[in-house]
Amino acid sequence: MLTWSVVALLAFGVYGQRALGMALIDPKRMSGQARSVLAMIPLSILCAVTALQTLSTEGELVVDARIGGIGLAALLSWKRAPMFVVVIGAAGATAALRAL
Amino acid sequence: MRQVPKDTLLTKGEAWTIAFTYFTVAITVSLVHSTAGTPRVTIIAATLMVNSATATLAYAAVTAAGGSVAAGIASGWLTATRFGVLSAALSPRLWPERWKRSIAAFSAFDPNIALANREPADTDARRVYIAMSFWLVLPWWLGASLGAFVGDFISNPKALGMDAMFPALFIALIRPQLTTKNSKVIAVLGAGIALALVEILQGGLPFLFAALPALLALRNKAGDS
Repeated sequence: MLTWSVVALLAFGVYGQRALGMALIDPKRMSGQARSVLAMIPLSILCAVTALQTLSTEGELVVDARIGGIGLAALLSWKRAPMFVVVIGAAGATAALRAL
Repeated sequence: MRQVPKDTLLTKGEAWTIAFTYFTVAITVSLVHSTAGTPRVTIIAATLMVNSATATLAYAAVTAAGGSVAAGIASGWLTATRFGVLSAALSPRLWPERWKRSIAAFSAFDPNIALANREPADTDARRVYIAMSFWLVLPWWLGASLGAFVGDFISNPKALGMDAMFPALFIALIRPQLTTKNSKVIAVLGAGIALALVEILQGGLPFLFAALPALLALRNKAGDS
């Protein structure tokens, strides 16, 4: 259960990391190579988040209905379907697989 | 007021979809906290102040499994490490002034950073980051507040496939970025490393290691086709 002190500590730690990331780097002193590496980090982390939110639950690898939904999302995305169709399609397919 | 910044790659459809997804997922997150016994006002405060579902959910999971409050908080912090790395990644493209970037850090999420980073010009990256921060944070707060009050009516969010919405949204954000051989390799390695480490390392540590493939951006661009 979340309490006020827990919320305050979580807020402090989470914002602290975000602010540290934003403020630590001095853009004027960055080389082009460093910029190109930083530019690819969101892609790399986004893929990691997607993989873990599809194939894991609370730190354990799990294969369940989500994989069908996300598989459909990947297919729809590859076919350049609108983002809304991708998201709703994935939720619908996951729900349908669970209902089977 | 313009819904999305003019002359950028951001579309209204993307903005509305992200807002809808965050709104819906926020209701689910509130429901999880509500069933764990957290008072409504604390749920709303957590949403406004922590601004991270993964951090509060990690805390809830650890303490529900018998872990201490300290372990739960540490887990929440660890889970949020990716926001620090993502913030650092976008930082050079935002404002030169540290104080401005420190304020912007409050709303550093995955989609607004990814969409801002997609813009070729730094000025557009800033405009998209600001716009998408509002498109994300306001539905997020609204959904969480609504969920704290009406969450009881959604008995089982998983039955509605709501847990697939975030990864599906991320897939839609990733796909347009897979334009070069390098980006595809980085994507596969990022996902692979996270999956390989999820059962070994705690909280957000797999995300830190998953950032390492970005170093492949240093490869000779001639070989990047």
